[in-house]
Amino acid sequence: MTTLTAGSGSDSGRSRPAARRPVIVIGLAAAVLLLAAAGPELVANDPLAQSLELRNAGPSAAHPLGVDPLGRDMAARLAAGTRLSLAIALAGSAVALLLGAGVGLVAAVAGGWLRSVLMGLVDLVRTMPGVLLALVLMVALGNGAAPVILALGLAFAPIFALVAAATYRREMAAGYVQAALVLGSGRFALLRRHVLPNIVGALVTQAALVVPRAITTESVLSFLGLGVAPETPTWGRMIADGVPYIETAPHAALVPMMALSLVTVVCVLAGDRLRATLDPLRDTGTPRP
Amino acid sequence: MRSMGTLLVRQLLLIAAITVAVFLLVRVVPGDVVDVLAAEGALDADAVAEMRREMGLDLGWHEQFRIWLTRAAEGDLGLSLRFETPVVDMIGLALPHTLALAAAALAIGLALGIAIALAAALWPRSAAGWLLEIVNLWSIAIPTFCVGVAAILIFSVWLGWLPALGQTLMPALIIGIDIAGQIVKPLHEELKETMTAAHVRTARAKGLGPARVLLRHVLPGSLAVVVALGGIILAGLVGGTITVEVLFGLPGIGTLALDAIQGRDYPLVQAVILVLAVSVVLVNGLTELVQRLIDPRPRVGVA
Amino acid sequence: MHRIPIARRTLFAGAALLAAGLAHPAFADETPQRGGTLKIAVLGLDTADPHRHTGSIAVQQVFVETLTSIADDGTVRPFLAERYSVSADGRTYEFAIRRGVRFHNGRELTAADVKANFERVRDTVKRGWLTSAMKLLTAVEATDSHTLRVSLSEPYAPFLNLLSELWIVAPESPGWAGTITRPIATGPFAFGEWQPKVRFRAPAHKQYWMAGKPYLDAVEFDLRDADDNSLALRAGDLHVARVPHDKAAQLKREGKVGVQHLKDTTWYFWSFNNRKPRPPFDDVRVRQAVTYMLDKPAYMRFIAGDAGVVTNQMAAPGNFFWDKALHEADRHAKPDPEKAAALLREAGVDPAAHTVRIVSWQDPYTQIVVQAMRRLGFGVDHQALDDIGAQRRLGQYDWDIAPMSSGPRADIFLRFVRMTSDGPNPVLWGGVQDGEFDRLVAQAVAAPDPADVRRNYLSAWQRAMERYYTVVVGHSANAIGVRPEVRGYTTGFTWGQHSAGGGVAFTWLAGNRS
Repeated sequence: MTTLTAGSGSDSGRSRPAARRPVIVIGLAAAVLLLAAAGPELVANDPLAQSLELRNAGPSAAHPLGVDPLGRDMAARLAAGTRLSLAIALAGSAVALLLGAGVGLVAAVAGGWLRSVLMGLVDLVRTMPGVLLALVLMVALGNGAAPVILALGLAFAPIFALVAAATYRREMAAGYVQAALVLGSGRFALLRRHVLPNIVGALVTQAALVVPRAITTESVLSFLGLGVAPETPTWGRMIADGVPYIETAPHAALVPMMALSLVTVVCVLAGDRLRATLDPLRDTGTPRP
Repeated sequence: MRSMGTLLVRQLLLIAAITVAVFLLVRVVPGDVVDVLAAEGALDADAVAEMRREMGLDLGWHEQFRIWLTRAAEGDLGLSLRFETPVVDMIGLALPHTLALAAAALAIGLALGIAIALAAALWPRSAAGWLLEIVNLWSIAIPTFCVGVAAILIFSVWLGWLPALGQTLMPALIIGIDIAGQIVKPLHEELKETMTAAHVRTARAKGLGPARVLLRHVLPGSLAVVVALGGIILAGLVGGTITVEVLFGLPGIGTLALDAIQGRDYPLVQAVILVLAVSVVLVNGLTELVQRLIDPRPRVGVA
Repeated sequence: MHRIPIARRTLFAGAALLAAGLAHPAFADETPQRGGTLKIAVLGLDTADPHRHTGSIAVQQVFVETLTSIADDGTVRPFLAERYSVSADGRTYEFAIRRGVRFHNGRELTAADVKANFERVRDTVKRGWLTSAMKLLTAVEATDSHTLRVSLSEPYAPFLNLLSELWIVAPESPGWAGTITRPIATGPFAFGEWQPKVRFRAPAHKQYWMAGKPYLDAVEFDLRDADDNSLALRAGDLHVARVPHDKAAQLKREGKVGVQHLKDTTWYFWSFNNRKPRPPFDDVRVRQAVTYMLDKPAYMRFIAGDAGVVTNQMAAPGNFFWDKALHEADRHAKPDPEKAAALLREAGVDPAAHTVRIVSWQDPYTQIVVQAMRRLGFGVDHQALDDIGAQRRLGQYDWDIAPMSSGPRADIFLRFVRMTSDGPNPVLWGGVQDGEFDRLVAQAVAAPDPADVRRNYLSAWQRAMERYYTVVVGHSANAIGVRPEVRGYTTGFTWGQHSAGGGVAFTWLAGNRS
């Protein structure tokens, strides 16, 4: 992560060409959400049921996307996985947002030594290699969705802390706030009416960037053997299950890999769109958490 | 503007805090190296207790920390509990692999990133613009290990070109493209902005060709943004090398870290995370320093 | 003292069953070529001190040797001991140490060296699987330069087999008083350069005692312990390497890279928590009920394809300690979901009201157990952990079922001892604490006659089966891929890459120019 150069630059048509066509992006995003919401109900097969004799079988009428190494229906797992992977990534990002914004705002509002300590903590977490941090956490916490969400939340919290603190300071320094303070507006009312909405905007913008990273991080954890319980159909687990058979049954890893890539691309594009709408003045490329 | 002294003190404090945090974090993880040895072998309860005593694992964590710190201060990071080999030696053997991979990836990433950004700035309506978007999107959306798996499938299994394990070209290329994707967009923005700057307009007014203006006047000014992205690039390198090293079986720092975590080899985990964290701190510090030298304007910086 | 030669125990009457797929390339009539480096990948090396090894012996066996060696059929053979005999009461052993054996530093091996190794293992190291044997040691004396006499406090059947893992190191090796850092020993290859988890290179021992051997200049181990080495084998990056079962089948079909199997098997089982069983799994009817859900044939086919065998015992079919009648009486040879449900009802257990806690490693086969429990109606909390995480978690005894596996061992005792009350590392078997079981195993160990040994072991095992301590699913022998230019190489009983009858000392590389 770099130091954010907040407040630099002007909007010069920076969103992606594709993101400038909202219909496409919204359509794609809607499709993904629909799949996540209704997918498991649309696919007749049980994502957990095993037919060991069918292991690694390719696509057929009964199993349109083939069968995984444990003889489970790939289509059913993919549908269930879309819901789970998205839910975990969203929950992880939400934890990161709440935790990060909380720490960042308290630090910024309080100032003084508390700010030094809190921002020092943020720096500390930020400096540890994210994947390693998550790995150690996962080893400590064991398998399951909750530990993954917690690990994601911790790993991505610093970026939200930085954004929250920076936005707060920028807003407080802005002319209109200074003017309002001079004119005797209540500090709290001012915060609520003007500063907070701006901070929320900046945080949501940041969240749009974090969600796809959370999706991929979950898959990395699963790939390294630390994540949700092995039978849980998340994309990461499905990829991890399929990789050992990449030679004999490439579909087992390729199908979830493609799903993951497709959805993260949609997420990024939707995020761009969101940023262009929410915060047209503060689009500075794509800083990564 | 904070003084250089403050900057230095802050970085040192950060390193100290990381040291303590890593030490505690490692001990939160259930299991220790004696469990590893017991799992592989056949130790009975007495032997297990005795080994813990021999290794000092039965002491309180503050006592363990004091011992570790005293030794670390003398430059002795200890022996790997699992292999009874100096940790420094193990890192020394792993580091060249990671550095070679990182250097190759960085070179590929910078070359590719700068080339695409330049091309897109020069010919805004060309395919370069699209390429820029795609590379950027690629690096955000597609995890390096997925690319690695696909690459192994295509090049090693289907085409039979390269051995799957142990070679550096494919991993470097994969991380390189990832880095290119990360720097290409900010660099492009900076290029476009600099092109409208006064001295560039002057140069153009003097009748210099666009390519020449770009290379001579615009690029040097814009490279500052690459420096500013030093931290991002490094984070990408660290994250990318771990999974890619594991996938391609490269005996670098990433593989060492994963093995150490899985083997609960405390001194080794501590040393590896410390080395990585210190290098992140150093790069961030250096980045800040270089930025101030290049561009002494006060920055509305965060952090 | 009256001495009788040790009866060769016919342990593996039918070992051929498992070795059936093993094709020996025709190299008998070829003249071995000298030179070359054999690149090999089988498990790892965890310490330079052979007496402190806790895990794999695959690598260290190329540089250190032992008094005895395990043959392909599981029987014990002379190695550094040229001959041995045991007294009629089974308490005194005499070893004739082979003459002309030279350490890597050129010095000749004597009985005094062997005595020093016994004492180091007993007094200094005090851990590892020799612990129980060393407790019985009352005297070790070198009666002359090449004769060693060892006295035990009581008869101990596995003794000679276990000595195949008492490594003989020269006492002048650096670190002898603490941890040996550079072992000087007698193996066909010397301890060379070691990079933990990466690589180990062992150059040939020029004064090796087997005439004319070894043929190779060096062996180089890849210690990364990758699960799947089949691509590297095909590419020629490795000559000999362990491969998973499905890849072994594929290599066989392609016919370019040969496949051999270890002579002893890995056994697959699931254990119940025996030390602190949680309801309802403290009820043997519930244990039996859930076992009826286990589809053993499908489970073994999943793990090993055609290379697996289903049985209900810790010894594989064909092994001396395997019993046919017991095998044929296996209630769980096929799954019976209806019976499982009926038994649960009978025990008054509503599966929906319980969450089964399953602890395992991260191998995919464990998910078969999870799904079986789910089908029966239980909720499942599955913790798939890395080696140490699982070890720690199992040791907490707060779980219900653990699907596990365990690899080849030099003696069946090493399997039984894990299920005794104070046995080493008992967690994989749920920490059984059963005095009667202990007594039967102790009787087996102390029995003078192999038939008595077998009968006692079988009684102990029958007891374990009736109480559902551990349910055996089956066995499979691990596969090793061997490239065609590798000649004279044969796998051993365990992972060890050097034994009296085969391994790297006998191996040479065809078409090698040197």
